[in-house]
Amino acid sequence: MALSLDRNFRLALPALAFLLLFFIVPVLALLLRSVMEPEWGFQNYAELFATNTYARVMFNTFMVAGLVTLISLLLGYPVAWLLAIMPRGLANIVFSIILLSMWTNLLARTYAWMVLLQRTGIINKALLSLGIISSPLPLINNLIGVTIGMVYIMLPFIILPLHATMRAIDPVILQASALCGAGKWQAFTRVLLPLSMTGAIAGALMVFVMSLGYFVTPALLGGTSNMMLAEMIAQLVQSLLNWGLGGAAAFVLLSVTMLLYAFQVRFFSGYADIR
Amino acid sequence: MTSSFLSIRNLKKSYGEVVAVDDVSLEIPRGEFLTFLGPSGSGKSTTLYAVAGFDEITSGDILLEDRSILGVPPNRRNIGMVFQRYTLFPHLSVAENVAFPLRVRGQDRTTVKKRVDEMLSLVRLSNFADRMPAQLSGGQQQRVALARALAYDPPVLLMDEPLSALDKKLRDEIQIEIRRIHQETGVTILYVTHDQEEALRLSDRIAVFNHGRIEQIGTGEDLYTKPATRFVAEFIGDSNFLDVASVADQSNGRACATLPDGTVLDGLSTHHVTRHSGRFELMVRPQWLAVAKEGSDGIRITVKDVTYLGDSSSALLETGWGQAIWLKGPAATLRGLTAGQTIMVGWDFAKSELFEI
Ligand SMILES: Nc1ncnc2c1ncn2[C@@H]1O[C@H](COP(=O)(O)OP(=O)(O)O)[C@@H](O)[C@H]1O
Ligand SMILES: [Mg+2]
Repeated sequence: MALSLDRNFRLALPALAFLLLFFIVPVLALLLRSVMEPEWGFQNYAELFATNTYARVMFNTFMVAGLVTLISLLLGYPVAWLLAIMPRGLANIVFSIILLSMWTNLLARTYAWMVLLQRTGIINKALLSLGIISSPLPLINNLIGVTIGMVYIMLPFIILPLHATMRAIDPVILQASALCGAGKWQAFTRVLLPLSMTGAIAGALMVFVMSLGYFVTPALLGGTSNMMLAEMIAQLVQSLLNWGLGGAAAFVLLSVTMLLYAFQVRFFSGYADIR
Repeated sequence: MTSSFLSIRNLKKSYGEVVAVDDVSLEIPRGEFLTFLGPSGSGKSTTLYAVAGFDEITSGDILLEDRSILGVPPNRRNIGMVFQRYTLFPHLSVAENVAFPLRVRGQDRTTVKKRVDEMLSLVRLSNFADRMPAQLSGGQQQRVALARALAYDPPVLLMDEPLSALDKKLRDEIQIEIRRIHQETGVTILYVTHDQEEALRLSDRIAVFNHGRIEQIGTGEDLYTKPATRFVAEFIGDSNFLDVASVADQSNGRACATLPDGTVLDGLSTHHVTRHSGRFELMVRPQWLAVAKEGSDGIRITVKDVTYLGDSSSALLETGWGQAIWLKGPAATLRGLTAGQTIMVGWDFAKSELFEI
């Protein structure tokens, strides 16, 4: 046992060295600056949580990330399920479309949403001409725009892990649940949902964490009055040269991410582990 | 038609061009253990799944206690099923798996607990209540699946080759368990297998499937002693089919046949013969054959090989026209035979059926 641990450790050494050099060292540097500048102490963190504007940015960030995660889950779940029960050939085509959208340049995709969402964009025009609304909806330069754009970008990150866990579910298990008397809803809540929970949690956490630190979409589709954390950090560091406060904000973001990851590892690494 | 417990009437199911089940009718009394026996792809599972209600059938009707169940979705049919693959819910413990059908029926905690205990003791797995399915052997998983399928006291239990993934010894053990459980619960069972020994061991009656049709239905003894078709004769027990050159003197269910080497055999059984000319074959079980005296009735053969099998021996023989046939008998009676020897073998011709080909 000790021997195999030792061996595992040695195998992991290159990766650990890489992490040390390119992750731990910069993060420590950032952490140091956040408690050293302009002087020693936690005043940057205090300022971050006490100042209304900064607290507001924190709140916005978590709210948008939560909303994006929730909507992506609700949209991604049925898509993943359809992909799992579709004939293989068709599923592969749908998959290529999803992957193609993932590989398209992020900026191009976000600009495309700007075109769609603006006051004179297709969506507003269509709604106006159908008489559903009488004046254009404000879909851009606010958190609605950010949420729509981010859901679109995050969907594949929910669909892929969900699909992987769902495809591992033997359809005969669902037949068995039907013969046991479970209707469609019961089969979903008592069998399908618990069996796909690991994929859903993995996807949701990934999307949540990615959304917390997302920069491009909020910067392009969001408004100046409701900034998100990544934008704020960029501004603090680039425009205001306030490395201390920027470092503190970045460190808060990192800590939340680490906590969520620990939570996933602890509680959702799956029933497969008891084997 | 007299009312039986479960009736399958003129069931037909096609998948596009493929006809999986073709005009199958069955009348099954309450409490019967009926086995569908047949080679792979003969339509056994499709028939069983039609009773379960997973697929729309092409035509026909299925009645339970005189009421058609075709319009009833699977989850309302109240039918139990044990599948070929392991289908326990992997996220639920053994006890929770057995409780599942009771929970979805909204039964209260104490009733569920009592029933789960009863079921687990029925399949003798009371000590495994808190295990997860992944911690059980294949045989144990299938026994839990059986407990789960019986938990809500279904009128009919379907089993689709539930033991095919298990090794021989385990299979024998669980077969005994299944028989006991059938006797204790009195549930009507439709059981699918491609293993004739399993079918003979378990069943009250056996329906032999071939190409989506039922070739014959009856007790194991019926099928063995009075096979209705050449296919059944071949599938249940071992059989030789001797080439026949011509058939004559057909009367009173008997006939006389000439074999390719000119041997004439009289008093053969013709239950299934409907025509006078054409090609025929003569069924002879390897166990019927015995070495006969020179000059007595029988056929002349050459011994090719003798295999000692413990209790019995078997011999590979070749007829005068070059057909290979098997003889099986007590080891002692075959001891004198050696390869290359030419001898006479005889049997009770009245048992031998002629089949048209
Ligand atoms: N879902 C399906 N689609 C197309 N053909 C099928 C399907 N299920 C069964 N079949 C065909 O129907 C026939 C009977 O199958 P099945 O009832 O499973 O046989 P058995 O259980 O006796 O092995 C086979 O020829 C099989 O290929
Ligand atoms: Mg089958």
